[in-house]
This record gives sequence, C-alpha cells and structure tokens, in this order.
Amino acid sequence: METAIEEIKVKSLKDRVIDLIQEDVPDYLNKFVYCMGATPLVLFLVALATGILMTFYYIPYPDKAYASVEAITHDIYLGWFIRGLHKLSVNLMIFTLFLHALRVFITRAYSAGELKWLIGALLLFTTLGMGFTGYALVYDQVSYWGMTVVMNMIEEMPVAGPAMAYLLRGGAEVSEITLLRLYDLHTKLLPVLLILCIAAHIAAIRIIDFAKMKDEKGVHLFYPEHALKVGLVAVGIFVVMVNLVMIFPPAIGQMANPLEVASNVAPPWYFSAVYKWITIAPRQSALFALLLFSALFVLYPYIDRFLVQRGFRMERINIVLGTAAVSAFAALTLWNVLF
Amino acid sequence: MGVINDNISRRKFLSGAFMTLGLGFGLGMLGMRFMQFLSPTIKKQRFEEILVGSVNDMSGDDAVPMEIAGSKILFLKTDAGLAAFSRKCTDLGCLVGWDKSKEQFICPCHQGVYDKNGKNIAGPPPRPLDRFPVVQKGDNIYVKVKVA
Ligand code: FES
Repeated sequence: METAIEEIKVKSLKDRVIDLIQEDVPDYLNKFVYCMGATPLVLFLVALATGILMTFYYIPYPDKAYASVEAITHDIYLGWFIRGLHKLSVNLMIFTLFLHALRVFITRAYSAGELKWLIGALLLFTTLGMGFTGYALVYDQVSYWGMTVVMNMIEEMPVAGPAMAYLLRGGAEVSEITLLRLYDLHTKLLPVLLILCIAAHIAAIRIIDFAKMKDEKGVHLFYPEHALKVGLVAVGIFVVMVNLVMIFPPAIGQMANPLEVASNVAPPWYFSAVYKWITIAPRQSALFALLLFSALFVLYPYIDRFLVQRGFRMERINIVLGTAAVSAFAALTLWNVLF
Repeated sequence: MGVINDNISRRKFLSGAFMTLGLGFGLGMLGMRFMQFLSPTIKKQRFEEILVGSVNDMSGDDAVPMEIAGSKILFLKTDAGLAAFSRKCTDLGCLVGWDKSKEQFICPCHQGVYDKNGKNIAGPPPRPLDRFPVVQKGDNIYVKVKVA
C-alpha cells in the first residue's frame, strides 16, 4: 500500500504524458468515415514542410512575387514538385476537413463535446484563411482581383468591417503593403494559430474523450495499433499525392495587372460556391447570409441541445440539413465552373 | 475569529482584483497601440485639376482609358458631353472595361453592367459609376482628381 502511493507520487512527467497519449481509442476509428480527422493533420504536415521550403525563394513584393513563384515553378530544381505538393496538400486538407465536419455533423458527435466542435470550427476557418492568403501570394490576376474583392467585402461587413479592411490592406487601396501583410499572415500568424488549434483540438479529444457512438463499444490501444494505422494511411496519401503532382504539375496564371481585369477571376474550388453566391444574390443580403451561416455553423451544438430539449428528432433533421448544405455547395460550385 | 479571516480573504480578493484590472488595462492599452501602429494614418487628400488634353484629342467616340495620380479613369462622350468615369466598380472595386459594340461598361468580377451614362443596369453594382469633374478652359480639358 505504502509503495503504491509512493509510486504514484514519483510517476514522472514523461510517464504521465505517455499515459495520456496511450489512452485507448474506440474501435470505430477503423472505419474509413470515422478517421477523417487524422488525414487533414497528415496533409497539414506536408503543407507545413513544403511551405517552409518555399519561403526560401518567395519574395513578397509586387514586382518580384510573381517572378519568384514562376521561378519556383519552372527554374528551381524540384520547385514544381514542392509547390505542387503544397498546393495539393492544402486542397486535400480543406476537402477532408469538409468531410470530417460533415461526418461529425451527421453522426451528431458534437454533443457532449461542444469544445471540440468550437475549436474545430476555428480550425476550419483558419485553414480557409490560409487558402485565401496563400493564393493571394502567387500574385496572378486571380490573386490581385481576389484581394481587391475580398478586402472590399470585409469593408462592407457591419461594425468593425471598415477598420478591419483598413488594417488588412494597410491603406485605402491594395498595395505592396497588402501583399506583405497577407504574406505575414500566411507564413507566421495563421500557421501559429493553426498549430495551436490542432493541439487544442487533439487535447480536447484526449480530455473529453472520443464521441460515444451507439452500438460501438470496443476499444484498442493507441500505440501500436492506431498509430501504425495512421502511419499507413499517411503513406498511402503521400503516394497518391506524389502521383497526382507528377500528372498535374502546378500551373500559374497571368501576372497581376492592376489596369486590366482578366475575363475569369474565379477563385479556387473551395471558394467557388461563395463566389457564385455573392454574384447572384443582392450584395447586402448575400453577405448577411454568409455571416449568419457561419454563426449557425459554429453554434450548432448548442442549437442542437436547445432543439432536443423541445423534443425534435435531431438525427433526421441533421441528415436533411447536411444533404441540403452539400447539395447547395455542389450546385453553386458546378454552376460556377460550367457557366 | 471568523471576522478576522474574512477580512484577510477580502483584502486578498480586493488586491487581486486590482492587480488583474490594472494588468488587463495596461495590456489592453498596449494592444490598442499596436493596432494603431498597424493602421496607417489616413492621408489628407486634396483635389487638383490636371490637364488631360485638348478638345480635339478627346473628340472621338471611343472610350479613352487613363491613369491619373492613381485614379483609373475612362473618358467617354455621353449624352451630356464629355465625362470622366472612375473605372472602379461600385460593387466590390474591380475594374470596369468599355464594351464598344454593346455600348456598356462591363465588370468581369460579378458581371456588373453599366450603360453608357454610367448607370448600373445589371448585376450587383448598387449605384452608378463615380465620375470625376471635367473642366474645359479654352481648348484644354482638365479633370479634377484626388492627389496624395
Ligand atoms: S466588383 Fe464589379 S460586379 Fe462585383
């Protein structure tokens, strides 16, 4: 008895950390749809490594930015490969985050784990911010006019909008200061925020525990079983990515020209739906709807709890809402691509 | 006994509250100053009349694009004489171009359309194109633009 207490007291920090990591993980993680969380993490690590590499060549100044991206793409040894991996990993990361959020939404895994959902939502928005600031840095036509339009959109937001737009732009017009600020956001502030979010998200899962699924009781060890499985998935993803980059090497658009708008300034696919939406809906209501949608998305676990107390059957409602959201996203995206 | 204890805990609480408040205030001030550092001061702008050409140069029917002191301008003959339109779309600030065959200003960003008098007729733009005042002195044409 005496020794047991002594043992607990002297248990080193290292052992305690190991205990925390080594907690059992539920068996349902073996199913493909449930392990969509580790995938974006792997993709983020790829984006991080390739991103750091590119900062050694990229020059965040209007006259030089486009040329340096072009040099990375065409002149520097393996530059196309690094940039291709970076671009692809971000695209896949956003895609898998969407899938992950959708899975959590449909299975209502956020209940009894609201904190995980809140951190996850922040993580998703930060990743989208990384996407926007990232493609702004290329400094082609899509970057330049994308920057202009997004800054003006922020300016139209109520209350803090104008001040925030001014802060981001560093003035009344898009200029070299804007590019530098987006570069700082993309390579310093947002990555730090993202890493904190990821750490907090994982810590929350460890502390609050994985979501309880009905009829899913089994557990297995984190290491070696689960860790090796994630490693296997990571290797698989990497093989697919290397192939995709070789088959579709990264391209670069026309250089930014403040005196001429290209006929097509559509953003990457993950913003296509929003882009189409603000094109077809009246400006103020379109922006308001976007804000409202984001707010509802972030607060959904609480809305769910509120409705459950009033006897609504959320399983059904979530399936209907999830299907509607995916269809709307897909329809707007296709509409934008095809017309 | 209890009274004494209470006093001590209350004193502790008060001093703690003061410290927190002071620290919060100080950090808040610092944060605000940092934000001010990052927001560039808005420069006072004045208007100046700038010579753009003679009446003969501008007599054609075609739109003439020009960049004057940072303002992107399209000169065009309208029903009410020569006008200097700002090319900045009134929707979200893209650049409008002149479509000669349709006699319309087109913004490619969200398909905004303006007629030849600068009136918004389709798409998201909420108001007509901005105009710069055009002044004619003798044979010379001046336009009034903001200069830094
Ligand atoms: S910016 Fe011109 S239509 Fe939107």
